Amino acid sequence: MTPKPTIKPRDRDTILNALRAGVVPRLGLQHIQVGRGREVDALVKDIDRIADGGAGIRFVIGEYGAGKTFFLFLVRQIALQKKLVVAQADLGPDRRIHATGGQARSLYAELAHSLATRTTPDGGALKNILESFVQKAADRAKATGKTVEAAIRESLGDIRDMVAGYDFATVIAAYAQGWEEGNDERQAAALRWLRGEYTTKTEARADLGVRTIIDDAAFYDGLRLLARFVRLAGFGGLVVCLDELVNLYKLQNAQARKQNYEQILRILNDVLQGTTEGLGFVLGGTPEFLYDTRRGLYSYEALQSRLATNSFAADGLADYSGPVIRLANLTPEELYHLLERLRDVFAAGDPARHLVPDEALHAFMTHCEKRIGEAYFRTPRNTVKAFVDLLSILEQNPGADWRERLGMVGIAVDRGAEVETLLPEQDEPDDELTDLKL
Amino acid sequence: MSNLDRLAEPVRRWIWQQQWTRLRDVQEKAIPAVLAGGDVVVSAKTAAGKTEAAILPLLTRVLGREEREATGFAILWVSPLKALINDQFRRMESLCETCSVPLHRWHGDVSASAKKRARERPSGVVLITPESLEATLVRRGREAGRLFGELDAVVVDELHAFIGSERGMQLQSILTRIEAAAGRERIDRIGLSATLGDMWLAAEALRPGGGDRVALVEGLDPGNGVRLQIRGYEIARSRPLPEGGKAGPTNGEAEEAEDSSMPTETEAPLVPRPVADDLFRLLRGRSNLLFAGSRDRVEVYADTLRAMCEDQQLPNEFFPHHGNLSKAEREDVETRLRDDPRPTTAVATTTLELGIDIGDVDGVAQIGPGSSVASMRQRLGRSGRRAGKPSVLRIFAVEDAIGPGSSPVDRLHLDLVQSIAMVECLKDGWCEPPSIGGLHLSTLIHQILAMICQTGGIRPTTAWRLLCERGPFRTVDRALFVALLRGIAAPEVRLVEQSPEGLLMIGEEGEHVTETHDFYAVFATPEEYRIVHGSRTLGTKPMDQTIAPGQTMIFAGRRWRIVEVDDRARVVTVQPAKKALPPAFGGDWAGVHDRIVETMRAVLAGEETYAHLDATAANLLADARAAWRDLDLATTPVLASGRGVVLFPWVGTRKLETLALALMARDFVASADGHVIEVDDAHPEAVAEVLAEMAASPPPDPQPIVDRVSKPLRAKFDGFLPRGLMDLVTAVERLDVASVPAVAARLVGS
Repeated sequence: MTPKPTIKPRDRDTILNALRAGVVPRLGLQHIQVGRGREVDALVKDIDRIADGGAGIRFVIGEYGAGKTFFLFLVRQIALQKKLVVAQADLGPDRRIHATGGQARSLYAELAHSLATRTTPDGGALKNILESFVQKAADRAKATGKTVEAAIRESLGDIRDMVAGYDFATVIAAYAQGWEEGNDERQAAALRWLRGEYTTKTEARADLGVRTIIDDAAFYDGLRLLARFVRLAGFGGLVVCLDELVNLYKLQNAQARKQNYEQILRILNDVLQGTTEGLGFVLGGTPEFLYDTRRGLYSYEALQSRLATNSFAADGLADYSGPVIRLANLTPEELYHLLERLRDVFAAGDPARHLVPDEALHAFMTHCEKRIGEAYFRTPRNTVKAFVDLLSILEQNPGADWRERLGMVGIAVDRGAEVETLLPEQDEPDDELTDLKL
Repeated sequence: MSNLDRLAEPVRRWIWQQQWTRLRDVQEKAIPAVLAGGDVVVSAKTAAGKTEAAILPLLTRVLGREEREATGFAILWVSPLKALINDQFRRMESLCETCSVPLHRWHGDVSASAKKRARERPSGVVLITPESLEATLVRRGREAGRLFGELDAVVVDELHAFIGSERGMQLQSILTRIEAAAGRERIDRIGLSATLGDMWLAAEALRPGGGDRVALVEGLDPGNGVRLQIRGYEIARSRPLPEGGKAGPTNGEAEEAEDSSMPTETEAPLVPRPVADDLFRLLRGRSNLLFAGSRDRVEVYADTLRAMCEDQQLPNEFFPHHGNLSKAEREDVETRLRDDPRPTTAVATTTLELGIDIGDVDGVAQIGPGSSVASMRQRLGRSGRRAGKPSVLRIFAVEDAIGPGSSPVDRLHLDLVQSIAMVECLKDGWCEPPSIGGLHLSTLIHQILAMICQTGGIRPTTAWRLLCERGPFRTVDRALFVALLRGIAAPEVRLVEQSPEGLLMIGEEGEHVTETHDFYAVFATPEEYRIVHGSRTLGTKPMDQTIAPGQTMIFAGRRWRIVEVDDRARVVTVQPAKKALPPAFGGDWAGVHDRIVETMRAVLAGEETYAHLDATAANLLADARAAWRDLDLATTPVLASGRGVVLFPWVGTRKLETLALALMARDFVASADGHVIEVDDAHPEAVAEVLAEMAASPPPDPQPIVDRVSKPLRAKFDGFLPRGLMDLVTAVERLDVASVPAVAARLVGS
């Protein structure tokens, strides 16, 4: 057994609170990570390649609660450690990759807002990145004896040549100018533009003198420009994590789905052909989002052939070089290991403070398996939540016996984060309509 | 003290600017009711000031709000017609301006940029059609909460037009969906209605399941008045001549002789000269709607009147308008009628009245009685909207001149009598109530699809609770909802599908349906069926009756035996029937309510004279009453006629057809046609015996009856219903098996 690290109280509380709420903690992932070794290795390679100026795209596919989001957060943490910039957002009905009603701009804005670096891991790092860039240019100007303005113009040359790059460069130059002149308003306007928060061209033109804005049509180009820019600012590259891609599958309009898939194809092609630089995508979705041949990615012929499973990857052999990473179910051993780790988190890493003996972990797993069958191995989320709930009861009530409590543990089948808000929830009669399967 | 003082200051200022001397009765009554909050139905005659009765107190409510920074619409004003919206917009414009409340109009002809502005800064009053409202929910479902979350009230204009119709169901459902999307238990609804005899109908249409809590306000102001006339025509009938030119009845003994007597061309119905002359004289030079019946008839009437214009070297003013014409052609007519100062008469089918978006004409004319009082009221409301102009409706009742061999039914001039009866019902303020137990599954399918688009995926239970528990589809229980969902998710239908976590989503076929512009409207123009004999198409007929193979039908002046009905291809295969000349009744008897037929009986049995009949019509009525007495129909409703029997049960179409089908099930050849049932080759005693037995027995088993009848796809999505549900719809909505003993008892006098 590996020596157990001690766990900081702050990490401990963050982890436990998040897990009880059924969400992924932002901190201390390493304490509760089990399995997925080869998947993580594959992503680490991706990140290294991106840091070298390459590109990458991965579809992380798993059932609801299988740990997609956890995995994405893990990737994010690794990328941050490796001095990359990470942007992260969930897709939703109001945030899509392609749209005409502002939903793509909204996704871009969310991504730009979430930009994180190692020193600013909680998002909002765009300002720091800009400042780092300007600082570098100023240093260079000093070294070469040019003006700061000239140094900036020079280093932005590449960007200016890219699609939609001219205005992007102009805005960055405007930021630098505002920075030099101490003009906060101009800096704020430039930041606003870069974050995709302008909704009309007229406004942007009045504030910054540019004729375009980052709108729905500029979603992907905007990300490419950002990726190029963060490299100029001294970072390795940009990793874009998009989660809940099942929202594309759920679009009720065939045309809208197709347009989103076309955009994904464009991104995929660029990555596979190596025409992008320092930009990686990690996309999380459920199996139906990928495999459904009527409304999933597979409904788009060109994507299906590019994403098809390696036909030699069968009988337990896996191929981690393809763009699709299928998050397999946790094995019972891995799940056991996960429970151990959770017990450790509760004990802050001190085996003497374990709340329950090993026997209880086995009993918990047996209980769950009996209650909902094999399905529960597929979705760690609810298992983890139930176990954390159990332990926290035991922690707060030192007299309580885990055997008694165990009988009361119930686990619902994971239906995903989807909540319906149209009507207030009410108890439904147990009839055919309640769990209709068409 | 007048209620004027309770209105907000800017509202009063506007009233003063208008130089009104006082409020009208309906306004005096409506102001306290609307200010009090809650649901209100305001009824009054056309042009009595209903619009102001609602908008004045509503604006007062809006102006009294503490929150002045609006983030959503305050008043949603739903109106059935675009033209009406344009009209209301002009009426409210200066008022809203005085009150500094924005006023938007929102329908298919309003520019996209104006709608976008309204959407981005929603506030004030929005005038909208149910279809535009549906489109907004479907295409921008996620904005619904923002747009409608702050609504003060919803106004339903012309509420009576929505009672019992598919469009009414849709509107009620939309209003429920808006309440749910706004996260509100209920939003006040204000209905503006024509005065009906039973205002509870309007209340229930406004708030399904809560009609008893709706406040009723009835204004007594005189409106613009109504001018109504029934014109009678006695026309010698051109009969298809049998072979050899021998006029008169043929008993058609020999089977093989029949085909040779076939008319060689499809017989186009001709417009009798006196009718054409009067139409031309009365309609030309003004703007009118002329409802002529089927598409064939529309074409013939429009063509005849156009030819008369040409003969007299006048510009043509008569244009056909029906579903077979291209959309552009129809829109040309509508635009000309709406915006062009030149007088224009649109000749339209009865079934299309909802689809024509024309607000205001000088007069309305119709050939025959039409099939419902509600639609007659609608048509009447199309004229007389301008101040001082009465509504004008002329009904042309064309009756056969009676001669030897005429059917006894013809002697009763039922077309005319039905017209008289319907006008009487109209005068009583009556209108057809929604059929109790109606399932409206077609509209429910539409609403399920619309809900999915609106929400981006919905759980089956939520859909049921919203549409059937809260919404208007109260007759659909959970089990039936499951059956319906299974039906429309079936592999050959594919309207919906399900995500792994159970959300309903739009299926492959559903995508085609929901992506068209037609999707937002639920009213379908019923398709006409082709009547085919051998390899020849005899013509088309709107299928508004329930028919079964083996029955006879009358078409193009002849009687035919129905061999086969194909509801999907809309083809009726027929063979000539050997029998006496059919009755000439050409009216709209299908879909007629019991009450109308009862009134017809009372008209025939009574002595009353009617001022709105012209001389010919009055004479025809006298003849009909004489025939009634001659045939002694008051006491003998089972009449021998030729080699068959004619039954006069005096009930509405559903009961009439059901009885005919029940007789078919007892091996009679019985067909319902023109308010009577004809039984071929039977003795009155034999029929009476069976009727007596039916009267004494429990209602027959519906299944064999349902199995054999045709099931025309009347509503828009009927074609997607699985067989079992279509049977159910037929049994529940189109037949009335429970009535058989009572109707039979009526006929045999027990």
